[in-house]
Amino acid sequence: MRLFRLSDRRRRGRAGDRLRVAFVLLILLLLEFYLRPSIVEGQHGLPDFLILVLLLLAIREEPGVGALTGFLIGLVIDVLTPARFGAGILANVLVGWGASWGRSIFFADNILVNGALFFIGTWVRDVLMLLFSGTPLRALPVEVLLWAPLQAMSTAVVGVIIVVIFRDWLAIRIEA
Amino acid sequence: MRGPARQEAARSDVPLLVGCTALALLALALPRSWGLSVATGLRQTALRPIVALQARAAQDRRSRFELAQVQRSYDSLAVLVQQQEALRRENDNLRGLVGVRARLSHPTVSAEVLHRPTLTDTRMLLLDVGTAVGVRMFDPVVTAEGLIGSVVSAGPTSSSAMTWANPDFSAAAVTADGRVSGFIHPSASVGVAGPILELHGIALRDSLAVGTVVLTAGAGGTYPRGIPIGRIVSIGRDENGYDRVYRVIPFASPGAASHVVVLTSPRDSLYPRSVRPVTSP
Repeated sequence: MRLFRLSDRRRRGRAGDRLRVAFVLLILLLLEFYLRPSIVEGQHGLPDFLILVLLLLAIREEPGVGALTGFLIGLVIDVLTPARFGAGILANVLVGWGASWGRSIFFADNILVNGALFFIGTWVRDVLMLLFSGTPLRALPVEVLLWAPLQAMSTAVVGVIIVVIFRDWLAIRIEA
Repeated sequence: MRGPARQEAARSDVPLLVGCTALALLALALPRSWGLSVATGLRQTALRPIVALQARAAQDRRSRFELAQVQRSYDSLAVLVQQQEALRRENDNLRGLVGVRARLSHPTVSAEVLHRPTLTDTRMLLLDVGTAVGVRMFDPVVTAEGLIGSVVSAGPTSSSAMTWANPDFSAAAVTADGRVSGFIHPSASVGVAGPILELHGIALRDSLAVGTVVLTAGAGGTYPRGIPIGRIVSIGRDENGYDRVYRVIPFASPGAASHVVVLTSPRDSLYPRSVRPVTSP
């Protein structure tokens, strides 16, 4: 009886955790599709909240779920900006898998590590998307070494702020 | 206990990764028209609320931050139209005297560009208008500065426009004086200010000066004649040495365009679908 109550409480707690995470992700989606486009236009160097959704979900789940999340987010990106249909899907699947796998192997709960994950995840996703979408080789250096790091940096800064604000809801321990 | 559970999870991870990767590769291998059809279908169904939300955000931004600029543009254009009214009447009279038919007018549809913060955004723009207001495939997309590209897929309420920055873009071009024509497509290299274009197909005997303005030539069935494309900034040579290559800085930037105009019917001066008589006021 006591065991049943314990497992019931744990299940309810887990459902509450998922609800809180879903709420944070909903905020990120609203930032992505309403708040940012209603304030600024253009695309160079702006934070990408969709990749934050992917990375925050991927580091909480198994690599397979990370890949599936990457597939769905990549599909949204490719549908809204179909520079080359499939390029965004493939890039986000690989990043979702990589982030989840890396998290389970060696990531520590540290604010700098989380920031580095957001930076590297965004940069790698951007580079893969450029490669898969057939960017001419001579145009790659500027994109890879200037615009992609700029967007990765802004995304990482916003990601760290989100993690600090919602650390309890996201169940992320932040060591100094 | 955790070990076997983890192994079980790891066993289900690999099929998920392989399945997602295979589907992504399949999507990549699809012909472009099929990929665009899938994207248009999803935009009109599952992702319709997202597109509507983005369109609403773009309208809110415009009304909040750009109203003064829009008002200034409107006022200056109103003055310009008033000044040119006499000129237009004079032109109509002269055309009537020599029996030349009126120039084709191009009905237009205004559209907001729904930008995404991806690095490939400038190659393909999402517009908040579609077939419901008369936008169709191959309709040219322009800004006040010049050519942006053309519509490549259109759903009822949204459409995708391929810009001049897309590696697949190509258009017939002519110099502003109408003397030399060629074809233009994006350069493989990136200029200091961003992507640039190259004017090809110019014979070695035809030399163009730096600063020459390049317009659309009106051939090919997509772009009407006379849309400004850009200005020649430097001269190169074809790798095979058969013709000259001119590097062209475009007037209009797809990345900076927040508001565009879609030129609907008739789309080409060579193949008109309808001839609209100019009505005198």
